[in-house]
Amino acid sequence: MKNVLHWNPPEGLRGVEVTYTVQYFIYGQKQWLGASECRSISRTYCDLSAETSDYEHQYYAKVKAMQETKCSEWAETRRFYPFLETQVGPPEVALTPGEKSISIDLTAPKKWQRNPKDDTVSMQQIYSNLKYNVFVYNTKSRRMWSKCITNSTLELRWLEPSTLYCVHVESFVPGLPRLTLPSQKQCISTLEDEMSALK
Amino acid sequence: MKHLLMWNPVAQPRETVLYSVEYQGEYESLYMSHIWIPSSQCSPTNGLECDVTDDVTATVPYNFRVRAMLGSQTSAWSTLEHPFNRNSTVLVAPRMEVTEHGLHLVVKLEDLGPQFEFLVVYWRKEPGATEHVKVVKSGNTPVHLETMEPGAMYCVKAQAWVKAIGRHSTFSQIQCVDMQGESLPL
Amino acid sequence: LRRCLISVDRSLIEKSFPEIKRALQTNDTFPNVTILSTLENLKSIQPVDVCCVTSRLLTFYRDRVFKDHQETSPEVMRQISSIANSFLYMQKTLEQCQVHNQCHCSQEATNATRTIHDNYDQLEASSAALKSLGELDIFLAWIDENHQETSTA
Repeated sequence: MKNVLHWNPPEGLRGVEVTYTVQYFIYGQKQWLGASECRSISRTYCDLSAETSDYEHQYYAKVKAMQETKCSEWAETRRFYPFLETQVGPPEVALTPGEKSISIDLTAPKKWQRNPKDDTVSMQQIYSNLKYNVFVYNTKSRRMWSKCITNSTLELRWLEPSTLYCVHVESFVPGLPRLTLPSQKQCISTLEDEMSALK
Repeated sequence: MKHLLMWNPVAQPRETVLYSVEYQGEYESLYMSHIWIPSSQCSPTNGLECDVTDDVTATVPYNFRVRAMLGSQTSAWSTLEHPFNRNSTVLVAPRMEVTEHGLHLVVKLEDLGPQFEFLVVYWRKEPGATEHVKVVKSGNTPVHLETMEPGAMYCVKAQAWVKAIGRHSTFSQIQCVDMQGESLPL
Repeated sequence: LRRCLISVDRSLIEKSFPEIKRALQTNDTFPNVTILSTLENLKSIQPVDVCCVTSRLLTFYRDRVFKDHQETSPEVMRQISSIANSFLYMQKTLEQCQVHNQCHCSQEATNATRTIHDNYDQLEASSAALKSLGELDIFLAWIDENHQETSTA
């Protein structure tokens, strides 16, 4: 739910000092509202996460350029619906190796919070049917398989000892299509087989 | 799923006859009967069949009509005798590959598109075995079914399922895997 | 008493509506008015009323929205037809529930759907229809969330 408005500078004004002002509109409400941190700014993006944090509403945003006394028309976005259009981030993934096993512990992705002191909201609270696709790749046999789970732990048993396995996980919300982002690939080796260790 | 509308040619030697296809869903025929919608693929076409899969997108009866066109002349409409409902679609059994990754039973299914899910049934081959069922949402990546016991044999079969039309295919051939051996189609 | 649950056809969500959403919403010139209000309002619908509200909203689209909208683009016409016929199928599924009397309508459900009709009547029919079509993502998201085995809503 990190919602950032981006735009391109006006053409033909390279090297000229241009500033921008952003406003946003909550669909169904009455008027445009100013984005407090994006008045007469020179950067070409504006973080509207706070203004659009109520993900059940829909929003428009617009920006205009100002150069000395002149200012451009407003450039307006299409209607934006965070509940459907946000990109669901990956869970945090913790791997713990065993002799022939790997324990996978997942922590649900969190709703973007600009201020770390704000209360943390798990995406699980927003999407109650959040699931995970766990992809497991055996680097020795070069074969992969996947498993769909709902809870946050998975015990991979009967793996090959002393073998490097790579895991990545994707959150997904069944039903309406939403963008998802897979986690970084993490690789970990299963421990040495006790029998061979005693030889 | 694929749905083709076919018709007989209009006899017109040495001339190129074009055909135009239109359809009406049950909504149109009940509430807006004057409305006929040009088919997405065949308005017009010089073929004798039309892929109407992208037109028949709901599980309700659809009327279809075709007419021939030669220059400025157009024939009368020829309308399908009975409305078509995609819930009469016959689904074929999915292609399936069962493999064992160490002690893990893994199945890979044919990707038949977003509408398809798969019902995968697997069991340990022994007297009085219990069948386990897993719904696999899409076909493109291998899916873990079970962690197997060493020395046992496990068998798998699968059927395609399209929730939107409430129909499933016949089961695929059973494939069995034993811990040491290769996949054994039965 | 088993709940009446329907599922939204994936092609409706992934193809039909996304392809016409931008055209519909861009032509909606009254952003300060909303027909379905928001997901937030629909979220106040209790699980026991979900079947009734779903059925009444499907009827609202069938009898008012699709009829009041005049479309010239064949491509948009096709997608709206796809949605209208999918809604017809969903309604038939719900009607089977109503036969077993699991589609109870409380006063809250009746008030919610009356508000939607009142919002619709605020605008001229073609504008209201266009806006309602542009708000299909709100309705589809609500159906998707409330018609799941586990949804407690």
